[in-house]
Amino acid sequence: MIRLLIVDDHPAMRAGLTAVLRAEPGIIPLATASSELDLEATLNRTKPDVVLLDYHLPGADGLKLCRRLKRSVPAPGVLLYSAYADSSMVVPAILAGADGLLNKSAPAPELYDALRAVSRGDRVLPPVPRELLEAAGQRVDQTDLPILAMMVDGVPLGEIAEALREPVRDVSRRLDGMIERLRVEIAAV
Amino acid sequence: MPRSAIDRNTLSALRAHRWFALLATTRILGALLGVALLLVHPVTHHDPLLAAVTLSWAALSLLLLRFTEDVPWAPAVWALDGFAALGLVLAGDDWRSPFYVFALTTLILPATSLPWRVAVAWGLSFSVFYGVVALLTEKLPSDTLTNTIRLETLATHLFVPVVITTTLAYSSVLLGRLRTARAESERLALQSERQRIAWELHDSAKQRVHAAHLMLSALDHHGLDPQGHELLEGALSELRATTADMETSVAELRTPLDGRPVDELLRERAAELTLAGVARIDVTGRLPVLPPLVAAHAYRIAAEALTNAVRHAACSTITVTLADAPEGMRLEIADDGIGMPTGPRAGGHGLRSMHGRAETIGAKLKIGPGPGGLGTSVALALPHPGGTS
Repeated sequence: MIRLLIVDDHPAMRAGLTAVLRAEPGIIPLATASSELDLEATLNRTKPDVVLLDYHLPGADGLKLCRRLKRSVPAPGVLLYSAYADSSMVVPAILAGADGLLNKSAPAPELYDALRAVSRGDRVLPPVPRELLEAAGQRVDQTDLPILAMMVDGVPLGEIAEALREPVRDVSRRLDGMIERLRVEIAAV
Repeated sequence: MPRSAIDRNTLSALRAHRWFALLATTRILGALLGVALLLVHPVTHHDPLLAAVTLSWAALSLLLLRFTEDVPWAPAVWALDGFAALGLVLAGDDWRSPFYVFALTTLILPATSLPWRVAVAWGLSFSVFYGVVALLTEKLPSDTLTNTIRLETLATHLFVPVVITTTLAYSSVLLGRLRTARAESERLALQSERQRIAWELHDSAKQRVHAAHLMLSALDHHGLDPQGHELLEGALSELRATTADMETSVAELRTPLDGRPVDELLRERAAELTLAGVARIDVTGRLPVLPPLVAAHAYRIAAEALTNAVRHAACSTITVTLADAPEGMRLEIADDGIGMPTGPRAGGHGLRSMHGRAETIGAKLKIGPGPGGLGTSVALALPHPGGTS
């Protein structure tokens, strides 16, 4: 049983997702949220297992929201859902702690599979192309490279902090900085 | 032709040649004034021959200036024109000449066409030459420098050309700036309109199509009969083609191909990607000019294939082959890399979108292992526009 929260700013997408996911056994869409503010309230009320999060919310930043969701206790699984989910978005999504990244053009069965995998605690991320990882490595601070490597390998934040002998809060702050540097600008939207 | 159209044409012609229009008007007036003074004024010699010369030179010079307006050696003609006018002053034998206004008109074109520094220098030189002519004419009374009124008249004669040139040069610069600013604001307005449309397409329309696609794709395993399944597959593929269409339109609105040929754009893109230093990209062959929509989709399919090869194939050489045969056009991108991953999730959004684009333009897209099972080959077969299909 997957208790799901849907976050998307577009009414058609919210309605479509709710209808489709309600019909799928084992997945229960608890509520929908259309904005950052909405999300805050709904999250406290529903305590979902998985959040299906639109990457592009007006006036909000999908990656930052994802970071905040993953910091809440208990942290829900987060599947980033975007009309632009190509491989260049993978590294920032990983750093933001997303458990999955899926394109909005994926057919429904793919969405079900992804949601199930995320709720099991698996990661649903496309492989990170070698040269994109290299490019990311060049853009972040050299002292942050171990964090980048461990995040890509799926090491939990707490273990990274332990390995680096730093407080979780510091590692978390460094992550924010890296996300800021690696942000994928979607041209002119 | 309706009257208003004629008026508009006349107006725009006048606007394009505004300085020449000013020159023509003032020169005709100046010539008439000179002739009138020459023939009737009690102080001047009554010289009908010089009057006739003035009138014919005014007409001739206007023609000459009109036809040499845009040639690179036009300044030489303007200088000649200036000296001819000074010649008239000299022939009139008095620097308080009936041809003074006429002579001033020779400053209009240089002042408005040359860079402003040169224009001001031109005006100063004119004053100097006028001073020389004043010294050469017989009627410069010896007490000019001591007689206040005469001195003032001379000073005015020498000062006015500089004022006129400076003013005209300044107006011309201002007009130029105004024109640039207007063109820029038009360009910005167009660009922001394009961005608004792109945003609407992406933000609203595409989200709806995604929602519809998702809902229909959920039907897939709800026990449809074969016919229903086929219909559903058709609808899904239409929707995928629609999102691909929208992506092309959005991309086109943001960075338009601007009607440039696909092969040229592909060569450009290949050169850009080669700079990244991952692989060498060779482009061979040509494509004929394609209709805009077909060109946009074909280019974006090929560009995506190139990007994929550079990003994922770990290859050292990519060959792009363009061919135009009677049975259809062919566009192939082949690399010598590691080939495509196999498995159920092979082919993400990028490949789906490529297939969607191909469907839109009625082309056949084949993506698979390259010749000899090595690398990856993306082959797009395009029917000829207006062909048998």
